[in-house]
Amino acid sequence: MGLEIGTNAMAMDAIAARLAADFAAALTDVRVQEPDTVVARCARAALKDVARRLKAHPEIGYETLNFVAGVDSVRHFESVYHVYSWKTNTYLELHVEVPKAKAELDTVCDVWPAADWHEREAWDMLGIKYLGHPDLRRILLKDDFVGHPLRKDYIDSAENHPHA
Amino acid sequence: MPDQFATPAPDEAVKLALRRIEESTARGEGSNVEGLAFNEVVVNMGPQHPSTHGVLRLVVTLDGELVKDVIPVIGYLHRCKEKLAEKRTYYQYIPIVDRTEYVAGMNCEWGYVMTVEKLAGIRPPRRAELIRVIMAELNRIASHQVAVGTFTADLAPLGTAMVFYMFRDREHILDLLEEVSGARMMFNYFRFGGLRYDLPDGWVEKCRDLMKRLPKLIDEYESLVQDNAIFLQRCVGKGVITQQDVIDYGITGPCARASGVAHDLRRTRPYSVYPELDFEVCTQSHGDVFDRYQVRMDEMRESVKIVEQALDMLPKGPVQLGSLRAPYVITPPPGACYTAQENPRGEYGTYIVSDGSRYPYRLKFRDPCFCNLQLFPKLLRGNKIADAVAISGSIDLVLGGIDR
Amino acid sequence: MGLMRYPKLEHFQEPNVITTTADFIFSWARSHSVFPFTYGLACCAIEMLSSGFARFDVARYGMEVFRPTPRQCDLMIVAGTVNEKMAPVLKRLYEQMSEPRWVIAMGACATSGGPFYDGYNVVNGVDKVVPVDVYIPGCPPRPEALFQGLLELQVKIQQHKFVAETPKPAARDAQPAAVTPPAAAAEGA
Repeated sequence: MGLEIGTNAMAMDAIAARLAADFAAALTDVRVQEPDTVVARCARAALKDVARRLKAHPEIGYETLNFVAGVDSVRHFESVYHVYSWKTNTYLELHVEVPKAKAELDTVCDVWPAADWHEREAWDMLGIKYLGHPDLRRILLKDDFVGHPLRKDYIDSAENHPHA
Repeated sequence: MPDQFATPAPDEAVKLALRRIEESTARGEGSNVEGLAFNEVVVNMGPQHPSTHGVLRLVVTLDGELVKDVIPVIGYLHRCKEKLAEKRTYYQYIPIVDRTEYVAGMNCEWGYVMTVEKLAGIRPPRRAELIRVIMAELNRIASHQVAVGTFTADLAPLGTAMVFYMFRDREHILDLLEEVSGARMMFNYFRFGGLRYDLPDGWVEKCRDLMKRLPKLIDEYESLVQDNAIFLQRCVGKGVITQQDVIDYGITGPCARASGVAHDLRRTRPYSVYPELDFEVCTQSHGDVFDRYQVRMDEMRESVKIVEQALDMLPKGPVQLGSLRAPYVITPPPGACYTAQENPRGEYGTYIVSDGSRYPYRLKFRDPCFCNLQLFPKLLRGNKIADAVAISGSIDLVLGGIDR
Repeated sequence: MGLMRYPKLEHFQEPNVITTTADFIFSWARSHSVFPFTYGLACCAIEMLSSGFARFDVARYGMEVFRPTPRQCDLMIVAGTVNEKMAPVLKRLYEQMSEPRWVIAMGACATSGGPFYDGYNVVNGVDKVVPVDVYIPGCPPRPEALFQGLLELQVKIQQHKFVAETPKPAARDAQPAAVTPPAAAAEGA
């Protein structure tokens, strides 16, 4: 039939332990969030490498990207990647911190093609720049919109409201 | 010159399309007829267009009738929902979630309410869970009726009859939903820990009666188009989504199931009382337009089965935790949570970051149509413009969810 | 003035002459065969669709000819939220409609921004972009509410004066008594 789901059913703790072992330095703070998500942190510099290895992992290949969310935690930005493993039928929630002064991050479009529009939306809403993205421009807002609205310090300005 | 006759200045999407034409010309990819110069045309479909099902703009690069490239431009219905979530309390936000995928309001509400309940550690009573299943499945049938109806209306004139029959029967379902919640489309019915109202007297009999009649009506819809040679010619073999596409782009819902991927969150990531219900995950194998249509028709039948089972399993009891009225102020503990629900269009998820206050700190919707729409350029390339209309109708887009 | 007085059925049972004004006839015809423009943006569009189909049937009012191009339409029903990205498109489509043209703002969003009024990208009401004739509140308005709005619009169309008014007596006296032919025509003839 083709794509099978859950061919390698593993317990959540086993998955977390396996990830912590295989990605010892790169993934930190690996914990389980019931029922089927592993949450982990990844350093900004290691993102591209970790993404490739996560996708190509022989037992728990995280082959599909569900979404990329940008979050404005007050001290820094976070780029949250939510990926899915068909083999184990589980999710991984990867948090990458990005400093506000230099909000740049490597793109994962070449690893997970689905990241294209999600990263454009994070750029549009929060201003996180994804280096290497093929076409990083605004997606939801008009082209000449000023500012990034989902930032906590965004103030609505008259130039964004020509039709007020 | 009057404004209406002036060509508007090219915006980013059109500039990108023109750049791509230049690049392909420079690479020498021209017409394959010797000695003839070719001219690719950049045409705007939308944002106001009868066949784009909402305010979707497609900047199409055409070589005659062949689509060379498509650049979808969205955001014409961007209503700042994610920012509004930070200004409204969790409870005040429930009506706004209805308006995300407005054709399937019950399902959207459930997706949001489920996430907040998980954050706050609340479980609704069993009667509420079963009624939620009934409402979600009824709304799934209604949503598929809109989806398939408007899809066949795009292939008009032959399909226009089908849309009339489907909307006629959708009114019966909306009558039932209106009796329960008070509204035809924006229900505002789900609450944290249960539901707003219990079922009125006589509702269960009316629902059973409609579920008895629906399978024959679904047969009637199919009989209108399934043997039609033109319908089959326009749908079979067009717009094939491969299993690799499903993996690469995160395609979910009927679009994925039509390609043979049995990914249905009600089975792969079960929630509520779905583990106790007996239904099949409808799949087809080719992944073309016709298979997506067929999956939706089959799913309508499965939903009828689910509703009948849930009606039989309904216990007596409260539909709301604690007192009858919902808690108006809910303050989940700090943390982040993502849950997803099987919307008629796919995996509809909500990612909420809570900081312990009455307002969500960050709310992100994982919308199935947003992810499915990314596949458009790949799907439409190489097809004629008429096929492009059929393919875009079969993907079933609701711009409220894409643009949020 | 209000509603029109229709001829009674008895009037047609014998050979007859009905006298009326040009305004009456044009208004009557225009108000009962309005071509709406399918400008459904959001959720209200689904209710507009429902009102076109079997149960509610907008064809009863002669308005079932929804045309997708503004060039062939009289009435633009703005059903849904207008945001800053969409507003120039809305204005352009309105200008492409030929006169006489009317606009109905259907729903809370088109009237005043609706539940999204404080969004950074939302235009608080379509009347900030185009002139509106009828506002229909609701979120979304039921098809019956849309019909009430359409009937109000019919009354408004029937009050519209299409034929230019004849000049008032004082102005008529001020006009020259005879019109002199142009010099060129006198030479050519």
